[in-house]
Amino acid sequence: MPPETSPPARRTLLRAAAFGALGASLSGCGFAPARIPDDRERAPIDVKIDGDLVYFNWADFVDPSVFKGFEKEYGVKVIQSNFDSMEGMVAKLNAGNRYDVVFPSAKWAQRLVRGNMLRRIDHSRLANGDAVFGRHSYFTDPWYDPDSAHTVPFTAYKTGIGWRRDVLGDLTGSWKDLWNARASGKVFLFDDRDEVLGMAALALGLDVGTGDRDDLDRITSLLKDLRPHLRGFSSDSYNNLLNGNALMTQAWSGDMAAMLNQAKDPSVFGFEAPREGTPINSDCYAIPWNARHPGTAMLFIDYMLRPENVKKNIEYIGYPMPVAGTESTYAALVEPFPACVVTAADLKADLFFRNGTRTEEDARDTAWTHVKAG
Amino acid sequence: MTVLNRSTRRTGRDRRGPSASGTRMWTWFMLPGTLWMTTFLLASLALVAVLAVGTTDELGNPRFGFDLSSIRAMADPAYGEVLLRSLGYALATCLICLLVAYPVAYTIALHGGRFKHALIAAVVVPFFANYLVRMYGWSVVLSDDGPVLAALRGMGLADGGTKILNTGFGVIAGLVYGFVVFMIIPLYAALERLDVSLIEAGRDLYGGPVRTFLFVTLPATRQGAAAGLVLVFLPCMGDFVSAQLMGGPDQIMIGNLIQDKFFQGQNWPLGSALTMLLMLALLTGMLGYLRRTRKDEAEARR
Repeated sequence: MPPETSPPARRTLLRAAAFGALGASLSGCGFAPARIPDDRERAPIDVKIDGDLVYFNWADFVDPSVFKGFEKEYGVKVIQSNFDSMEGMVAKLNAGNRYDVVFPSAKWAQRLVRGNMLRRIDHSRLANGDAVFGRHSYFTDPWYDPDSAHTVPFTAYKTGIGWRRDVLGDLTGSWKDLWNARASGKVFLFDDRDEVLGMAALALGLDVGTGDRDDLDRITSLLKDLRPHLRGFSSDSYNNLLNGNALMTQAWSGDMAAMLNQAKDPSVFGFEAPREGTPINSDCYAIPWNARHPGTAMLFIDYMLRPENVKKNIEYIGYPMPVAGTESTYAALVEPFPACVVTAADLKADLFFRNGTRTEEDARDTAWTHVKAG
Repeated sequence: MTVLNRSTRRTGRDRRGPSASGTRMWTWFMLPGTLWMTTFLLASLALVAVLAVGTTDELGNPRFGFDLSSIRAMADPAYGEVLLRSLGYALATCLICLLVAYPVAYTIALHGGRFKHALIAAVVVPFFANYLVRMYGWSVVLSDDGPVLAALRGMGLADGGTKILNTGFGVIAGLVYGFVVFMIIPLYAALERLDVSLIEAGRDLYGGPVRTFLFVTLPATRQGAAAGLVLVFLPCMGDFVSAQLMGGPDQIMIGNLIQDKFFQGQNWPLGSALTMLLMLALLTGMLGYLRRTRKDEAEARR
């Protein structure tokens, strides 16, 4: 460095340090204990239009014509934004971004409820609320949100095995099918900690979300045994089956149902829900406490629950929705894969992934690292 | 050394009189860049460093604190293994990139003629497409029913069981494809600057084409190659896309583990600690490079 520039560089360095400290303290606010919204701020809202709807969901989870219908009927705009993971969604909410309606999965809904991040929803103010809570009693008091005080269920789905029936023929209906010698080298597991550990736990007859170290040791050694058969960890089950890279893969029921639309000949594929039990999950509607237009959000939820819209969405995304009168639509859609249907018994079996304590989560995390790194 | 430094600085200050305004202008020019880098790069880096000893609350949110458990967790041999594997992939990628890029840059720079700029554009323009999109495309090309394997099977070089996707070869292929342009550009710049008369002189002095290349062209473009190696090596070490889309269970890279900590694991402190470990490894490599170039510069001054 030429000596002439040395003095200004030093001054710049000092200035830089000052700004750096400022920047760190600003962005660091996100990790300091957050303000907890009080009860009044989370109180239920009236169902009335109070502005455009700021919508936050996975991409492509609602039929575009349903959005159009909502915009037309209520004269508002739907401002769409998408997340690519639950973690990403919650990070954005924690950072103070304001959305009117979000779609957490059960596990994340529990976190948001525990963190007092959601507004309460009064079901009696939803014209179509009874179609959900009257018929599907499981959701009147789900584990993730007592009395469904802050959420309305959106979809439910389970995890099973998708496979190429034309190559492998029929399977035995057990998680042990993943060890099938003829599929060896073309088997995929999800790139998802809970799903993979949960699968092995069920195969061993353990609790699906166990955080016990001995259980986890047994799980990792079982998965070590499966490893030589694996081609990879990928959550893109649908494409892996379609493009021939996978003969067998862990698969979500909804993705398999959506695949039926894409496949030239659906009979070459199969989907089974193994008898040891299938992890079950559900997504729900929720309104963050700091939503700018909670009234519009309520109207939107109510609109989405109208049976004709539910049917459109079911056909669009392939996930069943717990709304009375739409069960037959879904059963018809997944006729080749009856295992996709989520029954009341499936929900009662209660194989949901839950939030463990910090120690349990750490133990699961370590186990997952060992499974993945081999 | 220090004495020398002090004396030059004093003369520098003495000389500042007439050129002081010029220096001040350059300082102001430096300000926007410095501000940008400090707020968005250094500050976030500092944040990562602080979070490495932070904690996680019951909801999985990162919190400031002082807890060395994530530093201790890094002692798990799995991380070391994966880090070594990433290092191996990154080095292999660097080598292959060098072998691929040198002839390309050489041909364009010395024999491109009036098509030189068009050719460089042809190399660079495909890289305007998003990295992720290109990687997805590459995974389709290498898939079991994809064009590459179909062609190889047609030529009898592969059988039904051969696969590229989900192997170490696939990951390195992805990395090379993703970053080779970072090697071509600095090499092209170095070869473009190369005085062709040096090569002619080598030939005049009875050096064969190989000897001339080895003892004239190669040393003259060494700095370009070094810059290219660094530009390829750094992103390769941290990459997780290639291993995710083209790797199998045994090809996980350190980037994948770090991503897991920040997402599914909800363990930002451990993710941050691993990030710092990775940066330490990269910094060591960078220091080697910097020392090398300083030596080169010193030699050039002599």
